[in-house]
Amino acid sequence: MPKSIILGISQRRALRKLVENSRERLYRMAYAWTHDPHLADDLVQQSIYKALNNQKQLKDMGAAEAWLFRILSNCLKDHYRAKRDVVSADDVVIADEVTPEQNTEKQQLVDKVRRAVRKLPMAQCQVVTLVDLEGFTYASVAEILEIPVGTVMSRLCRGRRALKEHLIDVGTAATPRRSTTLKRVK
Amino acid sequence: MKKDEHFSEEQLNAFVDGELDPEEKSRLYNESAKSPELDMRLCQTRKLKELVRHAYDDVPAPQRPRGPTLRRSGPFGRALVAGVLLAIGATSGYLGHGLISAEPANTSAATAQVLEQPENYLLHVVSGDPEQMYSALSHAKFLLDSADEGEIRRIEIVANERGLDLLRSDVTPYAEEIRALQKNNVVFYACARSIQRLEEKGVEVVLVPDTRQDYTALDRVVMRMQDGWKYEKI
Repeated sequence: MPKSIILGISQRRALRKLVENSRERLYRMAYAWTHDPHLADDLVQQSIYKALNNQKQLKDMGAAEAWLFRILSNCLKDHYRAKRDVVSADDVVIADEVTPEQNTEKQQLVDKVRRAVRKLPMAQCQVVTLVDLEGFTYASVAEILEIPVGTVMSRLCRGRRALKEHLIDVGTAATPRRSTTLKRVK
Repeated sequence: MKKDEHFSEEQLNAFVDGELDPEEKSRLYNESAKSPELDMRLCQTRKLKELVRHAYDDVPAPQRPRGPTLRRSGPFGRALVAGVLLAIGATSGYLGHGLISAEPANTSAATAQVLEQPENYLLHVVSGDPEQMYSALSHAKFLLDSADEGEIRRIEIVANERGLDLLRSDVTPYAEEIRALQKNNVVFYACARSIQRLEEKGVEVVLVPDTRQDYTALDRVVMRMQDGWKYEKI
């Protein structure tokens, strides 16, 4: 039996399991990027279409998760590209919306954080949420967003600095930059 | 200069995210023990990370309009997605060549059932381009004509996004062709979500007679692929 066939079947099974387990995670990420349940749902569906239709492109199951989230990110880019040709998706800031006043302390906190995340430029929002919600490594985020690891770090830094200004009363004076040694860098 | 100013925000982030190498991590641990300011910066960075995670622990589920067709799964359709992927494996061709036993026992029966079925097709139209629409209709006709003698081949055409224009009675250029295919038992489905979106923009959507609706095109695609149908996106 040709080896490639065995690998192909194994890969399809693994992909099947991955998508089965990832749909809610993809939705959560899409929601964190857009704060729009309808749009998030659409993006996830488009991502699943694309993943299923292009599964042959996936050569390494080890990179499958990042591949799936990269498809999601590309679907978001396509969405904004279709909406407005001139503005880069990286620069998009989701408009702040007034949310209904919530009574619970937990909900108030959640709303406050989401409002702060919503104010981030999309490029920073994506990096922050991929790292914080999914626990992706910087190298994986770089793969997903197709940007250098250094850019991941700088966007994360700017994003978290902005969030701190909204969420934590701390001074954000710049500190001297120093090269950082990462344990995992692609 | 304060001691903690030796550490940049990038380094603190990398520490909190588990990205620092062991040597630098140890150095930061030691320094933070000596410097309350550095310790506070680390705590704040950790707190921020936790806050973001906490804010998206529970996200609102998409509000789905109720379509006339019963759906087979919960709000996220996980079971259906599992099914579509199973079906992809089952219909890929490889499983029909002595590899069925490689499947778990509970899927072998389903796979065998799929292999015994006639070739049914789901065609998916997403484009508003009249040529693409016509291509879908022509392809459906071809598939009907090419069925083996005595074979009852079932065909469905599902339309969403711009492709919904195919099924809008006031827009479609192909009402007659659709009617002719319907007489040959081709069933047309419109995506209720796409209709809802148009209606939200103030567009009145009137569908070609006998068009059915499913909540989303994906629901239909996944269900049919689970049933062993072939899927073609036009």
